[in-house]
Amino acid sequence: MSGAIGAMRADAAKLLSEGAVKLVLGYCVRGNERYPCFISEAAQAEALDFDQSCRQNLAAYLRKPEVRGRAPLAVVSSPAVCRSLLVLSSESQIRENEVRALAIGPKGYGGILGLGALGAWLKADYPDLVPEQALLDRVAELSAKTAQERAKFWMKEFEKCTRCYACRAACPGCYCERCIVEKNMPQWISSAAAGHGNYAWEVIRAFHQAGRCTGCGACEAACPQGLPLMLLNARLSQDAFEEFGSRPGYELEAKPLIGSWSAEDDGSFIR
Amino acid sequence: MTFEPRITAFVCNWCTYAGADLTGTSRLSYAPNIRIVKLPCTGRIDPLFVLKAFEGGADAVLISGCHPGDCHYASGNYHARRRWSLFRKLLAFTGIDENRVFFSWVSAAEGQKFANLVNKVTEQVRAAGPFGERNLARRRL
Ligand code: SF4
Ligand code: SF4
Repeated sequence: MSGAIGAMRADAAKLLSEGAVKLVLGYCVRGNERYPCFISEAAQAEALDFDQSCRQNLAAYLRKPEVRGRAPLAVVSSPAVCRSLLVLSSESQIRENEVRALAIGPKGYGGILGLGALGAWLKADYPDLVPEQALLDRVAELSAKTAQERAKFWMKEFEKCTRCYACRAACPGCYCERCIVEKNMPQWISSAAAGHGNYAWEVIRAFHQAGRCTGCGACEAACPQGLPLMLLNARLSQDAFEEFGSRPGYELEAKPLIGSWSAEDDGSFIR
Repeated sequence: MTFEPRITAFVCNWCTYAGADLTGTSRLSYAPNIRIVKLPCTGRIDPLFVLKAFEGGADAVLISGCHPGDCHYASGNYHARRRWSLFRKLLAFTGIDENRVFFSWVSAAEGQKFANLVNKVTEQVRAAGPFGERNLARRRL
């Protein structure tokens, strides 16, 4: 890994000194933790680091006007972040000439990749980025319970939510300038941090990521209340994959899962 | 007091609403447990509508529109089918299972099918019992 990090730092410095990018989004070390950092000078590239604890999804910054205004930029990109970049690209949120990835993962450093090259890197080294088995086991365990037991489980979890929306801020897929949860004419989702408003918020937040979630885990990592958001995300991703073969973030251009259809879609649940 | 289910039905204007109309004009009677909300198309039914119905007191929700290939807007029902296929599983995962959310295709010519559908759904919800005022999805008074 240290060779990979050295190569990544060198590439970041090169891009900045050549003026190919104005900003590099990466992670740096503070104490025992790794934090997101923005660097704009080649000399700062030495501070960049990366390991498996880097769970913040840097692609989430790309939707902010103050960050995008500094394009072209480079993003230190784990496989999950690469997938998020491709999702954003397929949804016309970022353009090829705005963003470059410094692709890095457990299998090493992939170099400076344009959006068009990410798919090939992912498919070669990380073709099956599915939710990890331990998570799927928890999903299966909960799915096997009765509806009442599941309702009870989620009621306990959802009641903890304080509606801070850190999960939304952390997710690259949540880029609407005005979120449905903040609309009040009419108000679809109660903004009180309790009861039915929490239920609607949690279910709708998860559902709006259907076929778009890349499983990066940033939402759950950001939640100060420790809600198991990845259970919802993983369940949806699993259903979307099994039913529709959905694998978001592997192609530069892809039809949105919700928003497209096929005459062959399963209709067995319809009477 | 016996439990009388309250069922909110979201139906499309062109097929199921017309089918329900035919049920009436044919003088077929069916369970009076249903409240119909007419929308232009099943494609217009946002998942939030379903949550609102449960929030406001429904014991179950029925969604019905045109058969595949018959959508007045060509593909609204196909869009809806894909959306519901995933959304109903997410609802079930959070505790609102298949005894609470029903889907059907009813054409403008199927008055009898509509009557049978409402009767069957009402029976199933009656057997399942009330939605539960303590369910988190329900607005607490
Ligand atoms: S929903 Fe969570 S896991 Fe999925 S892409 Fe957004 S932040 Fe990542
Ligand atoms: S981060 Fe956690 S507490 Fe905050 S809104 Fe999201 S689920 Fe609720």
